[in-house]
Amino acid sequence: MARKRGRGMAAGWYGIARTATVDRAGAWAEIDDGGTVKIMTGVTEIGEGILTVLAQIAAEEIGVTPQDVTIGDNDTARVPEAAHAGATRMTYMIGNAVALASRDARERLVAVLAAHWEVAADNIVTANGIARVEGANQHMSMAEAVHLCKSRGVVPVGSASFGTDTTGLDPVDGSGRPWQAYVFGCQVAEVEVDTVTGEVQVLGVWAAHDVGRAVNPKGVEGQIEGAVVQALGQALMEDYKLDGGHTTTPGFAKYILPTALDVPQVNSVIIEDPDPIGPLGVKGIGEPAMVPTIPAVMNAIYDAVGVRITSLPATPEKILEALRAKTNAKASVAAE
Amino acid sequence: MLTCDEYLTPTSLDEAFAAMAAHRGRHRLIAGGTDILPWAREGRAGDVDVPVLIDITRISELTERKVAAGRVRVGAATPIQRFLDDKAIATAMPCMPRCAIWFADDQIREQATIGGNLANASPAADGVPPLLAHAAGVELASKRDGRLMRRLLPLNKFILGSGKTALADDEIMIAIECDALPGYGGSFEKVGHRRSLVISVVCLAGLVKLDASRRRFEDVRLALGGVCPVPQRLTEVENFLRGAAIDSGRLERAAAMPLDFVQSRTRREYRREVVHGFVMRGLINALRRAGADADVLKPELEAAYA
Amino acid sequence: MPDLRIDAIINGRKVSRTAKPWQRLIDFLREDLHLTGTKEGCGAGECGTCSVFVDGVLVKSCLMPVAKAQGARIDTVESLGRNELSVLQKAFHKAGASQCGYCIPGMVMAATSALRANPFADREEIKERLGGNVCRCTGYQKIVDAVELARDVVNGRISATALEEEETADGRFIGANVRRLDAPSKVSGALKYAGDMVMANMLHVQVLRSPHAHARIVSLDISEAAAMDGVEAVITSEDVPGVDGFGVFVHDQPVMARGKVRYVGEAVAAVAAEDVVTARRALAKIKVVYEPLPAVFSVEEALRPGAPVLHDYAPDNVTKHIPVRVGDVARGFAESDLIVEQVYETQAVEHAYLEPEAGLAHVDADGVVTIQSPSQNITHHRHMLARILALPINKVRMIMSPVGGGFGGKEDMIYQGMLAILAIKTRRPVRLVFTREESIASTAKRHPSKTTLKMGLTLDGRIRAVEFNMVCDGGAYGLSTEGVMRKAAILGAGPYNIPNLKMDTYGIYTNNTPSGAFRSFGALQAQFATESHLDICAERLGIDPFEIRRINAMRPGSKTHTKQPLKSASLLAALKAVAQASGWEKGPPTSRGEARRDLGGPGNRPSCTLGSRIDGAPGQARDEVA
Repeated sequence: MARKRGRGMAAGWYGIARTATVDRAGAWAEIDDGGTVKIMTGVTEIGEGILTVLAQIAAEEIGVTPQDVTIGDNDTARVPEAAHAGATRMTYMIGNAVALASRDARERLVAVLAAHWEVAADNIVTANGIARVEGANQHMSMAEAVHLCKSRGVVPVGSASFGTDTTGLDPVDGSGRPWQAYVFGCQVAEVEVDTVTGEVQVLGVWAAHDVGRAVNPKGVEGQIEGAVVQALGQALMEDYKLDGGHTTTPGFAKYILPTALDVPQVNSVIIEDPDPIGPLGVKGIGEPAMVPTIPAVMNAIYDAVGVRITSLPATPEKILEALRAKTNAKASVAAE
Repeated sequence: MLTCDEYLTPTSLDEAFAAMAAHRGRHRLIAGGTDILPWAREGRAGDVDVPVLIDITRISELTERKVAAGRVRVGAATPIQRFLDDKAIATAMPCMPRCAIWFADDQIREQATIGGNLANASPAADGVPPLLAHAAGVELASKRDGRLMRRLLPLNKFILGSGKTALADDEIMIAIECDALPGYGGSFEKVGHRRSLVISVVCLAGLVKLDASRRRFEDVRLALGGVCPVPQRLTEVENFLRGAAIDSGRLERAAAMPLDFVQSRTRREYRREVVHGFVMRGLINALRRAGADADVLKPELEAAYA
Repeated sequence: MPDLRIDAIINGRKVSRTAKPWQRLIDFLREDLHLTGTKEGCGAGECGTCSVFVDGVLVKSCLMPVAKAQGARIDTVESLGRNELSVLQKAFHKAGASQCGYCIPGMVMAATSALRANPFADREEIKERLGGNVCRCTGYQKIVDAVELARDVVNGRISATALEEEETADGRFIGANVRRLDAPSKVSGALKYAGDMVMANMLHVQVLRSPHAHARIVSLDISEAAAMDGVEAVITSEDVPGVDGFGVFVHDQPVMARGKVRYVGEAVAAVAAEDVVTARRALAKIKVVYEPLPAVFSVEEALRPGAPVLHDYAPDNVTKHIPVRVGDVARGFAESDLIVEQVYETQAVEHAYLEPEAGLAHVDADGVVTIQSPSQNITHHRHMLARILALPINKVRMIMSPVGGGFGGKEDMIYQGMLAILAIKTRRPVRLVFTREESIASTAKRHPSKTTLKMGLTLDGRIRAVEFNMVCDGGAYGLSTEGVMRKAAILGAGPYNIPNLKMDTYGIYTNNTPSGAFRSFGALQAQFATESHLDICAERLGIDPFEIRRINAMRPGSKTHTKQPLKSASLLAALKAVAQASGWEKGPPTSRGEARRDLGGPGNRPSCTLGSRIDGAPGQARDEVA
């Protein structure tokens, strides 16, 4: 057969948030007029969906809907520090900081309501824009609740900082606690290798990743799908080349990226092994999802055609060359 | 970036020739623009200033298309996408739709012109091998001493080398003419590093006509691109197969014929190997599309290459 | 230079304006008409962020001279869903098809074109029709899902109510598929990235970059460039007021080359002018005399005794070495039944976020230097920039503009310093937008790596010892190299119990494009080696690849290679879940290929053979349209 199929698998692990150093993030929350919420924190979206994740967290913690939440972000002069947008730290560091700040703001509001209704604060439930007493008739909208707070001289604001208990590495043996949360994942890739051209098509990827707790499962899938495809680019086609320090791949005509026609169906499986330390149990997914893809694809190529590519990328040229070498090796064995 | 002082858009050949005469030595013709704009960028030509750009795509004769009397005539400014969606052209040129689908992407195919693809004379130009297989000619016009002069050059006399053509400074490419080959089975095989927006490392255009028995080649046309400075017809392979009975052994012998014009210094071994496979694959696909009997080839052979 | 007259119908309105003869349609739309939903991702027709309709036909506006728009009807993304989002835009929102959003307007346009051409297009045809639009975030899956959803609404197979949001009744939002709140701004093209922003009286910045990999700057004469009409300022390293150095770990990189250049593409000087063309022409007038120095282009060359030195502080060209040690590897190998050694190499790759770097800077009324850019680290950038500018930290303000893809590539402060200095010097807002080529040549890459991996195992599949030596080309500046080496060292041997481990990772300076942060940060290169290696060992031992990992898997309570006890560990759960989901047929990885019985299942897409439009997919319902 000209087109041969095979499967391979690989696993991987990753640490969440900054490595071998203390990480930290701050957030402010305010339950605002009309029962809306303002969350202030120092980073913004880089595409991963963090703004929606933070809105979901604030909404659930405070008792409004995500659409009621406004995120004031991204400005060193206006919002508290949340460090950087990277290191698979957004949901973990900032999500947990926002949860704690939201709880802080809610406590202020609920304290006023508890006094107003003459019940214990623990008995008050806030959800979907309504504050009510558990098992009783008393209730009011969050808009009314904020109005009540303000009439008592209270602005329901909160703040929080979330930090990690981590250490650097010993300079001699490397021992230390670089992270407080670890995630694990595993992927299977199914490929088709065209032995006439050497082209590899990755047809399917099954990817299971622990995220601690998925705040937005569709967003997690989006991260996995994107990571798999970015890794696939490195596995099969992307190659930044230099000649005497000058790039020979100066634009996208030469630096080849995967298009919609080059990507597999990605089948995500979300595993939730909650983080025992943070208040939400969340971890992260942005980087770890990329780790198993390349070896899974290379292992699948070996399964399909019996050649092992140990130098990336596995271009059509490299595949045919390896197939040729394998045929020649067999021929020379036969000759002996 | 590409800069210019003037951008002219003549709507007739007379206007175009007048503009060319007025700006001789300072002008360049532009059609789709899909090659010249990326060319004038860092890593390639860098910032380029062309005093006068003359856009020839609004000259009506350059966008006319017709199929008549066994011939196809396509204006030089015809966008590549027409070879995919114009039924009359697609029927008369059976490997062109398959070439077009591999050409850049849907959007660039609406902008890039067939004339521009030929005039660029890239060794990897996808449009060239199918037109070679169609024995295409290129009509060039000039205005000399007030008289409109036209000449028809065979495509293999028009493209002289990588980036070199027979187009004179005062000439405009008007149209491409070629045999209409309805009833042929067409194929276009291509490999690059992905499956869209990709430059050919090797491409092959195949056309096969069967005789009435459906078991014999009446005509075979093959042309290769990407492997040497100018795309080539595989004349010896064609002659070896033309008139012959279709059988697996003959196909294998055809594909094994030496192809010493695989000159590209880079990836030479790779290209030779793919060319061998593509001759088989291109012939098999074209045979099938021409309606060859199901049992003319050994199933193992088809499986090994298709 | 006679201007062109452009009369066109743009988004349904008559527009009559002049344009420069060399302008492209994208320049006219973005710069003159401020229709910034049309993005520039590559300027060469290779990415599709600039797709617009011209007379109903979708084209790439970066490849179209504006003169071709004369008399045409142009529709940009802003023409779609003017009162409410279009069906396709709603479907993108519903399906979660947008991430960074930079490719999305072009993607929505391409999808609109696809469904106009064939409202019954199947998934493969949709992918073909989107083949000219690159997305770097989503992996395309949810984009194609969105187009399929919209298709079925458009062709009437399903009701438009399918586009509505599912309600979450119980107030529990953690764990719910809440639609992305930023999606409407992305599918509509309304969101402004830094390169879309303008400020009144703004100047345009261009950067002169080194043509040499390693050279001493003998002289640098900016006088002719500075004297040009329309040029407001030209700056070099002499204009840096404070301590000139930045970097994620070591501050070894100057804002602009100081005394010498260390890689091709390094910034040498910057110009602020009234327009981009003037700024580019001024660059050509800057006279730099270079004395080329011997350069090193590989780690082998850089580590050779007597090799040219890039940075005085690192005379051996080693940026960072990270060791991790557990047990005694000699003893571990002695106890092993099988020892496998293999070299693995990975290449440099580019982040290729669709949004090239861009930024604006101005000095506000209170004297605060304010920079808006898609920086992934405004906190650290503020610290470094305050030192560079010799300003109190609260006189520097960093605003993180929407990031059109980062992947680690926007963690380095490689251009914000120049913007700040030019804003201070000119007292006018300044903006710099990188070209794609500039972005590729001058910004960080993923570290290329070479790993020698030796693993010893017993016949039952237990790993006894691993010796792992990884050397990475860090390029000309430190950037994130130290951190990348650290992560590779901690994670590289994989989530397995390894009683004897000798792990070393080295980042090396060379005169290549700097390497830096890139999604999966060293762990990807290192685990590619380990996970490939495990397959080789599993084959030699006749063990299923899942099983060999299970045998060695870290479990809750296991100690990591840095001797940290794990409170929880989900590797076994992940292995089990994937084996189940993929229907994995057990067996050692002996190149079973076609003999497998678990191939071709429903989790795969069909093999791509172009031309579904020519042959017609089976059951395609084109006739239903007629």
